[in-house]
Amino acid sequence: MIDPLLIGFAGLGALISLIVLRMPIAYAMILVGGVGVTLLNGAGIFMSQLKTLAYGQFSIYDLSVLPMFVLMGALATRAGLSHDLFRAAKAWLGHLRGGSAMAAIAACAGFGAVCGSSLATASTMGKVALPELRKQKYSGALATGTLAAGGVLGILIPPSVVLIIYSIIVEANIVTMFMAALLPGILAIVLFILTISIYVRLFPNSAPHASKVSRQEWMAASVGVAPVMVIFGLVIGGMYVGWFNPTPAAAVGVVLVWIYGTIRKKLDRTQMRKALEETAKTTGMIYLILLGAEMLKIFMSRAGVPQAMAEWMATSGLPPLVVLSILLLSLIVLGCLMDSLSMILLAIPFFWPVLLELNGGDNQLALGSGFGMSSDDLKIWFGLLALIVVELGLITPPVGLNVFVISSIADDVPMSETFKGVLPFFLAELLRVLILLVFPILVLWLPRVLSG
Amino acid sequence: MSTVKDGKLRGDHGAQKLLDVLIHGWAMFGGLMLICVVLINFFSAVGAAIWQPIPGDLELTEMGVAVAVFAFLPYCQLTAANVSADIFTLHASEKTVAVLRALGNFVALLFAVILLWRMSYGAINQYTYSYSTSILRLPHWLAFLPILVSLILLTLSALMTLRQNLQTLLAGQHK
Repeated sequence: MIDPLLIGFAGLGALISLIVLRMPIAYAMILVGGVGVTLLNGAGIFMSQLKTLAYGQFSIYDLSVLPMFVLMGALATRAGLSHDLFRAAKAWLGHLRGGSAMAAIAACAGFGAVCGSSLATASTMGKVALPELRKQKYSGALATGTLAAGGVLGILIPPSVVLIIYSIIVEANIVTMFMAALLPGILAIVLFILTISIYVRLFPNSAPHASKVSRQEWMAASVGVAPVMVIFGLVIGGMYVGWFNPTPAAAVGVVLVWIYGTIRKKLDRTQMRKALEETAKTTGMIYLILLGAEMLKIFMSRAGVPQAMAEWMATSGLPPLVVLSILLLSLIVLGCLMDSLSMILLAIPFFWPVLLELNGGDNQLALGSGFGMSSDDLKIWFGLLALIVVELGLITPPVGLNVFVISSIADDVPMSETFKGVLPFFLAELLRVLILLVFPILVLWLPRVLSG
Repeated sequence: MSTVKDGKLRGDHGAQKLLDVLIHGWAMFGGLMLICVVLINFFSAVGAAIWQPIPGDLELTEMGVAVAVFAFLPYCQLTAANVSADIFTLHASEKTVAVLRALGNFVALLFAVILLWRMSYGAINQYTYSYSTSILRLPHWLAFLPILVSLILLTLSALMTLRQNLQTLLAGQHK
């Protein structure tokens, strides 16, 4: 009998090869997981598990929030609320130098609050804000860089699909994670706006002089954005204060966005059909990856790979913070090569046990722990750091999906300009990771206050 | 979506179109299922605020979402919605990419067939032992029926995409 651990690592190698060879990530996981379990336990057990494994996985209640938030996002991109958001943000920030770019950032954040996908945020806001910024004579680099970067705000501002997936993998409370994500999300908005403010002072030609809006416009724009605020307040606020669980909250969100879009006459039959098609594709893709991840998890934990990795790291004598930095760095690198969702599903099941072991195990309290915080807090803190760094891949070469999306909208700006324009925001993101690494309290404070 | 390059295969075009329509329609059925789940949760939340939640809303959600997601899978296969990491093979030749795609679609086909086979037995088990949900006593085999339809469609769409890959490969060879 071959050592199970050896089979496990061979499986890991096979998985990576298959992914490199363009196998859809879900099927690579399913194939390796299935073959691995069969090798370790024989075909009989696995085949009998398969009778209900997929049904069991797809009917997990905690997952049901995902298709609903995906549907809410798909409706939101078509409901016309991106216009209202940008208009209000312009009215509020327009008097500042570079104000319209700042407004685009704020609007991206606002849109991220009703849509859980970075790409959808970038493309929707891009379509609205980019023509406007170009008309106002913003430089191509600044305009496209702003919107590509603004898209990544979506991942932290609840409801974020990837955040939900992380919570499910490490068995964290979704609402707690949503609470923890709020301050880091706001920090990102502040840092991005500061970045623009510094940028337009360094390169005065990149932005026009500011213009103040009239009082009527200010009022009209503010009233126009009120429904979006109400939707976000009810859905996310309602979860924070415990009115409802994530799934009913998402359902309320879907219905409210649908009502909004119907009143604005944006959601006709065709648009509804398109929203459903998009939901079908995204949801099916996510669930298939989740099924693959589950099969892979069964294989890997029977082979003992995560446990072995955790043990090695624990006995390596490296200080916990160094290990954490190594893991975050490798997430940055991997995030540049793959999409964030698959990345989180692939890496977290291996990374999390390592950190848990270093901290002192599942029920470790803050006193005497490796990271100076309880394991429950570590789960939240690491999750947010991990999510921020995997999203960096969206704005860096070679894949940089957000940059591609924005470039396809702005056909007069070469992609190299966009990558240049995104660089200052990339630095701001690194600064944010550093701030959160040094001050974990920024992440942990709100959940503590809100959950009493 | 469906590209038939070879002229003499035009006879199959009708069948392919029919399958396209079926799979799209089935995904829309899943979408309506999801909307039903949304409405159940919405009214349950409203109900809980003013009187009482809808009984069994949790199990209806679980079952409804599972049925909906299975109905989405054939559509994902047909529209190549399942993500892969393309970055490593950006400069590979068209033929290599076609071979790799065929490999991926072959695994999809394998998965669909095995799951269809196993879940048919799963459905029979659910029926024989009359497993049901705890509050509404809904039998689970009820959910398995549309799921088996989804798996049949997934098998067909995997077959179709695989055939398209092979056609592309053959067409390339004859050039």
